Amino acid sequence: MLDQLATYYRRWLGPTEAIKEMPKRAHRPDRWLLINMLVLLVIGLVLIYSISPALAATTGVSGSYYVVRQFIAVGLGLVAFAITAKVPLVKWRANYKLLIAGAALLTMIAIILPVNPSYPAHRWVRFAGFSFESVEFVIFAILIWFARFLDIRIKQSSIKNFAKTMRPILGALLLIAAVVSIIQSDLGSTATIIAIMGVMVFVAGLPLKRLLMIGGIVVGLVVVAIIAFPYRLARIETFLHPTSNCTSASGYQACQALIAVGSGGIAGVGLGSGAQAYGYLPESDNDSIFAIYAEEFGFVGAVTLIVLFTNLFWRMAKIAEGAPDDFSRLVVIGVMAWISVEALINIGAMIGLLPLKGITLPFISYGGTAVVFFAAATGLVYQVSSYTTFNRLTERNQSR
Amino acid sequence: MPGQFHFDFSNTSGRIRFWAVLVVIVMVIFGFQLFYVQVIRYSHYHQAALSYQLKQYEIPATRGLIYAKDGNSNVPIVLNQKLYTLFADPPLITKPQTVAYQISKIIGGTPTSYIPLLTAKYTQYVVIARKLSQSQNQKIVALQDPGLGTTGQDYRVYPDGSLAAQVLGFVNSKGVGEYGIEQALNPLLAGKSGMLKAITAANGVPLAASKQNTQIAPVSGSSIVLTLNVGIQAQLEKILAQDYKSTKSQGLSAIVMDPYNAQVVAMANYPTYNPANYQNVTNQQIFQNAAIDYPIEPGSVMKTLTTSTALNVGAITPNESFYDPAHWLINGFNIHDISIDGGPREQNIQSILSLSLNTGATWMLMQMGQRGGTQILPKGIETWHNYMVNHFRLGQPTGIQQGYEASGYVPPANLNDPSIDLRYANTAFGQGVSLTALQLITALSSVINGGTYYQPSLVNQIISPNGHVTNLKPKVLERNVVSPNVGPELEPLMEGVVKSYFHGGFSFMNFPPNYIVGGKTGTAQVAKPTGGYYKNVYNGTYIGFVGGNAPQYLIVVYNIKPGVPGYAGSFGGQPVFADIAHMLINEGFVTPKTH
Repeated sequence: MLDQLATYYRRWLGPTEAIKEMPKRAHRPDRWLLINMLVLLVIGLVLIYSISPALAATTGVSGSYYVVRQFIAVGLGLVAFAITAKVPLVKWRANYKLLIAGAALLTMIAIILPVNPSYPAHRWVRFAGFSFESVEFVIFAILIWFARFLDIRIKQSSIKNFAKTMRPILGALLLIAAVVSIIQSDLGSTATIIAIMGVMVFVAGLPLKRLLMIGGIVVGLVVVAIIAFPYRLARIETFLHPTSNCTSASGYQACQALIAVGSGGIAGVGLGSGAQAYGYLPESDNDSIFAIYAEEFGFVGAVTLIVLFTNLFWRMAKIAEGAPDDFSRLVVIGVMAWISVEALINIGAMIGLLPLKGITLPFISYGGTAVVFFAAATGLVYQVSSYTTFNRLTERNQSR
Repeated sequence: MPGQFHFDFSNTSGRIRFWAVLVVIVMVIFGFQLFYVQVIRYSHYHQAALSYQLKQYEIPATRGLIYAKDGNSNVPIVLNQKLYTLFADPPLITKPQTVAYQISKIIGGTPTSYIPLLTAKYTQYVVIARKLSQSQNQKIVALQDPGLGTTGQDYRVYPDGSLAAQVLGFVNSKGVGEYGIEQALNPLLAGKSGMLKAITAANGVPLAASKQNTQIAPVSGSSIVLTLNVGIQAQLEKILAQDYKSTKSQGLSAIVMDPYNAQVVAMANYPTYNPANYQNVTNQQIFQNAAIDYPIEPGSVMKTLTTSTALNVGAITPNESFYDPAHWLINGFNIHDISIDGGPREQNIQSILSLSLNTGATWMLMQMGQRGGTQILPKGIETWHNYMVNHFRLGQPTGIQQGYEASGYVPPANLNDPSIDLRYANTAFGQGVSLTALQLITALSSVINGGTYYQPSLVNQIISPNGHVTNLKPKVLERNVVSPNVGPELEPLMEGVVKSYFHGGFSFMNFPPNYIVGGKTGTAQVAKPTGGYYKNVYNGTYIGFVGGNAPQYLIVVYNIKPGVPGYAGSFGGQPVFADIAHMLINEGFVTPKTH
């Protein structure tokens, strides 16, 4: 019985690809990457702890509810990190169909399940008191699939071939736009996916002309998405006139976020002393958590956090540069794009430079699914960091 | 393209670096924006945050209590009780059905009536019930439902129900005294509320520790001890309630006063109300203390003051006789008595009061102008005006500790007025002049006590929040109202009035021989608001005293439009006075004669 299932599975996966294994000899992984991630996770926990009284007061749950759940999420995230750091990338690559199938199944369940009336969007799979955001799994699966897809095109030297490369990409984009953006009405995640794929395809060497073409199509889709859903238009208007109207429904969150950030001053009001989380700033545990952080830790703290994120991305970029093969390089660059795009969109919205998108701040925001998947993604990068070969790059830099 | 940031898009490494540098550049832009928002624009956003977060709360001060005299001890007649308001935060109510059932178990009512409140939309504050008791509050708190909350508030409670309601007044829902002593002494009783300025949550709950919080502690109000004797007050109110019915009255007021210091021993009106349920009163007039804020033309009770004045200025002597022509033609208008008692004949001062001769009162006014005269002279008018306004202090509020005190009316002594003689002849027997019951009884007190006008008072002691007791001394407003011999001359005349009524068939005017009781009736025409007087509508008034060796209590009765046949003073005012005097004697409040 099990043998038969294994046979079906192998047949479904197709013939085993000739994949260049990672170099047998690994060096020490990038410990600073791990430490950097841990520091961000700890900052997230401390922040959730600091706003717990406010969350308890406004939602009526007990004071420890959020901290305990986030603590569990961080624990699960570290387990996920250990798995992705250990299980060889080739295994992830080989099972990409399984990942896609899983992502599709979860998305379908999320769409079929009845919605929570307070968040009327088909984005979550709920069972036994826990909820799972399907889109995080979708992004993870797309990342593995797309890295494989591009790796094959690079090897075939068909990256510039319209039919072989562009058509599947445009098809995938349309499918994602249809499912995530329209059915799940999650424009933020759609933008993230498009950005991840865009960065990966750019690094893979897609000609700029094609890239601009995809960019043009994306802009067109965004315009359509905004016009089709008026609440998005309101957000854009709010963004254009940020503090003009703190009382309007659409402008309230952006305005209160700026007030939270600005009232933090240079040194912040102090841990747990921020008042904005007490019902003034919506989503203070989630989308708006950067504003709460900036309120409590001030300019010094906010810049520290930005430096931490920048360092994380810089390290990931360096690992990508030194990656032993194109597939692992594309995976690393995909992870970096994922985390950086979400961080930039989130922070940008909180400080009034970008419109609100409903995207979480990686590692910091409350929410188990995101924490687990960001940790898992970072685990993949951590794995690659053991096999980097920097000599080539160093030599080339010197030769310049 | 030479330089550090040359990106070679033809190789992978160059593209990775381009992306990485792009991210760094955006992060640097974010850093500049943070510097702008958090450092340069800090004060703007700080003020904006405070405008949302900083709220000011009043901390209510505990209101002072009100005591009254019961013999030598003080008994509380107004107390405070902490009652609770139950409110809900509907978004936090997860199981409205269950919560509604729990609430109904504790505070009554049907569960279904609470569900609309518990599920109200777009609000975080819905009042479910008010005035819950301490034990109900404890049970609500024990539910530990995050969507329910209670706040305590002091309410006035009245152990004696409606006792002295109109004297006390009430405290409105904003904590401000209205009517009566609660209004007049509101600042003293209320104390000074404290203030809490605090950073709050969006729903207004102050956050525990914030550097921005400032607190000013409230100062409790002082308590007061009234001059009222609860025993007499309660009996008086009972009598007024009964006599209101028996005299078919439209409003009955009475005051019992200690004439030697003008302290009010009892003061009541009927109909009345229970201040605990002041919200249920539909007719606002019931809140008014008519004894101090409803001046009327008092009628012949005024003759006690006319007589006192005439005696004091030497215009008459107590035993004097005079020829009564039964009518005087003054300014072309005939003044005659309400009953023509036997036509023109010899009368004396006693019969002026006993038979209530308007011609006699007019004659006394003539004597004030010139001894033996039969005309009203300017000197008489000026003398009587001076006594009414400056000696008896009519036409102005007494300043008693009550809200809405009325001043009454004394016509000006305008000698150019062609009908001034008629006007002043009228005032001599209590028409064309208006007085509150309090003004009348205080004026006569000054005659009885030997000539000192004390400011009438309801407050005997003030007890500060720390327990310090201040005794209030009677305040002298006028020292030489009349000379000390006028009172002893007037008293037998008023006793004679009581005796003549008893002999005239008013059996209830019989009092035990070891007490002195004197009085004077008044049957007053009721002025129309448009001028002139109503036909066959009268107010019945009475002023009198009861005592042993000397008058101990003065009593005034104002009976508005009694519906019994006969003279309103005799049949509307006098029986009420008699009931009060009998009560004071029978209940042992009056010290009998010792010689």
